[in-house]
Formats: sequence, C-alpha cells, structure tokens
Amino acid sequence: MLSGLNTAAAGMAAQQQRMDAVANDLANANTTGYKHQRVGFRDLVYEQTGRSSAQGVRTGSGAAAVDAGRAFGQGSLQRTDRPLDVAIQGEGFLRVRLADGRDALTRDGGLHIDGNRRLVTATGALVQPAITIPEGVAEDQISIGADGTVLANRQRVGKLDVLTVRSTQGLLSIGDNAFVATAASGAPVAAPQATVLSQGALEASNTDMASAMVEMIESQRAFQLASKAITTADEMMGIANQVKR
Amino acid sequence: MDRGLYIAASGMLAEQIRQDQIANDLANASTPGYKGDRTAQRSFGDLLLANSTNGAAVGRQSTAVQVDSIETDFSPKPARETGEPLDFAINGEGFFAVQTAQGVRYTRNGQFSLDPQGRLVTAQGDPVLDTAGRAITATDGKVDARRVGVVALTDPRKEGDSLVTGTPAGAAAGTVRAGALEASGADAARSMVDMIASMRAFEAGQKVIQAIDETLGQAVSKVGSVGS
Repeated sequence: MLSGLNTAAAGMAAQQQRMDAVANDLANANTTGYKHQRVGFRDLVYEQTGRSSAQGVRTGSGAAAVDAGRAFGQGSLQRTDRPLDVAIQGEGFLRVRLADGRDALTRDGGLHIDGNRRLVTATGALVQPAITIPEGVAEDQISIGADGTVLANRQRVGKLDVLTVRSTQGLLSIGDNAFVATAASGAPVAAPQATVLSQGALEASNTDMASAMVEMIESQRAFQLASKAITTADEMMGIANQVKR
Repeated sequence: MDRGLYIAASGMLAEQIRQDQIANDLANASTPGYKGDRTAQRSFGDLLLANSTNGAAVGRQSTAVQVDSIETDFSPKPARETGEPLDFAINGEGFFAVQTAQGVRYTRNGQFSLDPQGRLVTAQGDPVLDTAGRAITATDGKVDARRVGVVALTDPRKEGDSLVTGTPAGAAAGTVRAGALEASGADAARSMVDMIASMRAFEAGQKVIQAIDETLGQAVSKVGSVGS
C-alpha cells in the first residue's frame, strides 16, 4: 500500500517540475532570444510485488521529469530598425565574454556601444572577438552584414562570430540570455553556412503561449489525478485500520 | 479458524497491488510512449468440499485470490505534434532500439536529443540505433526520420526509464515521424473508475472480515451460554 503512495507522489513531483518550467517559459514570453524548455518524463523501475501475487508480477514506481534541454526552434523576428540590433536566422549563437571572464553564447542580439566604444550586449557582455567602433561614428553609420561583418562608416571594423555546438541540449543555461558550452555540449564550432544575421531586428522568445497554457492545464490535471491516487490509498489504509473495530 | 477470513484478506491484498498499479498509471499520465497496465487476478487452490459425515461432494471452493499477472497494453497511442526536430513518434507497431550499458533496449518514448559527438541519444544519453543497428549521427542538428530503426518485439516487458526488453523479431510495420511524441497510454478516466472499483472491493473485503468476526464472536460468547 505504501508503495502506491510513493508512486503517486513521484508523479506529482514530476508534474511540479514541468509546471516550474512552463512558468519560466511564460515569464520569458517577451525575452529576446529566449528558448523554451523541453521537459520530458520517464517511468521508474518496475519491481516484483510482495505477497499475494504470482512470480513476475511487477508494479512500477512512478514517473520522473527529464530535462531535455532547450528547444532551439527559431523565434519570430521583430523589426526594430535599430542599427545595433541583430537577429540570428538559423542555428547559431553570438560569442560573448562575460564579466567573470567566461566565454558564453547568446542569441540576444540587442547590442550597444560601451564607454570604451566596444560592442557589448544588453547585459554588458563583450562581443567576441572585440569590435571597437571608431570615435565619431554614429550608430546609424554602422552596418552589419548577413555574414556578421561590421562596417563603421563603410570601414570594416570586425566580424561577429556566429558559433554553435554539437549538442545544444548540453549547453548550460546561466541566465542573462547566455549559455556556456560544457563537456556535454562539445566545444563551439562555426555555425552552418545557412545561418545569417539580419540587422535592425531582434529574435522574439520562442515560447508559444497557446501550447504553454495547454501544457499548464495538462500538468495541473495530471497532478490532480496523482493526488487522487494518494487520497484513495489513504482511504484504503483507513479501511484496513477499521478491520478491527 | 474460518477460512473466509483468509480469503477476504487475500482479496484485500490483491486490491492493494491493483491500487499500486493504478497509481503508477496515473503518475505516468504525461510520460511520452508510456504503456498502461491491467492487473489480472485469479483464484488459486480450489478445495473440493465434502460432507463430513457421509463424504458426499458438496462442490468446489476457492481458498484465496492472487494477482496472476500485470498485463501491459502495448497498442499504439495517438501522437501529438510538438514541432521539435528531435522528437520522434512511431505510427503503428514497433519500438525504437537503444544501445544501453546493459545491452540493446527498446522504447516508444521518442524525446531524443544530440550528444557531444552529434549522435541521436535518449534522455538518459543512450544512442538510438538506425535500421542497421548503428548509432545515428545528425547533420546540422537534424535527423531524417527514415533513418531511425523500428523493431518488432515479441514478449515486450517494461523495465523503467521508458525502456522495454524483449526478443527482437525483425523490422516492424510502424513508420517514424519527426516533430511528434506518442501520448501516454495511461487512460485517466478508466484509471479513476478502476481506482474507485478497487477501493470499494477492498472495503467489501473489510466488511466480510468484520461479518465473519462477528459470527465468530457470537460463537464464542453465545454458544454454551444458558438462559438469556
């Protein structure tokens, strides 16, 4: 009897984890370059049941949530007409250096010029390789080509690196729209040729409101179903307690 | 002691196992490619009752009930669209083959991703095998659904972690579709009904025990007492 309680509780915990992921997706519905989370489930081990059953009768012990990484589907492009906004179309990331010295990957292309005239992201991470905009060049004199070449007043000042990794699932999400490559993701490599940058646009979050809401409802109902299994198990223990009045 | 006590108790124990099985189905209501179970009970140890004075046969009586098997319904369930390039669903019969540390296992949970070598792997990191039994390497983050192998199994048996063991019996008729996941085979409505029915059967067992207990109590206290 107690095993059924734990089985259902495992199912509830798994649903709760998915609910957390959906909540995060919804909270980031307007975050530039945000990629929604993929949460999966798996069933747990099957064990021989105790007394009063034949050999080979096994019951499962619930479910667990599985992190399947992020869904790197393309977000829609939003035209901003700001010269320093770049959206990545296709697979790939911009390479940036964080304040703590780590190299990171991001799809948030809302760039700015910092006090040292270098290109930085909205969170202050330096674009790699560093691109310095010469003094006196206004923002609207900067042009960023489809391949990442940055021209300031028609002079080439650098090229944005567009990289990707073999296993995007293995990327470590560190917040601030940035991901760090790990052993599980493999080292960053050049993005495929098909990936192009488009100036004057930003990539919207790829959270799909409708499917996030559906997932939320499904999660809540599945949570409720599992909780009913706990209530029933509890009632049955009550009944067993009442065998001797 | 009255054998009815033990028969009723065995029924209650069997209902507990059924309840555990239902709890597992409900816990897996969202697990892609999960297959629902059914608990089958049977009576065991029939006794031939005979009249103790003249030996005439009275009839058979079962001495207990036992959970005989938990059957898994491996029938295909409808797939739902996810749009993820690395989600796969099998239309029709068959299983994906997966190379685990324990040997080749099978699954219908097609929520895959890529490992650092660019191979298609399950959520546990085990490579998914193609039609020729080799790991599949993705090109530009995508895998052609036709490359993913679909294997027919005889005697499939659930093992946990969405994996199934069994004897492979060649390629299966099912076809693989990318961008979709097979829904869980747990049927919420039926599980709820089964759960209620099982709980009431459990309760009935309790009532039988109480009734027999009362009868025995009468036998103990009333038989032999003289007068009112």
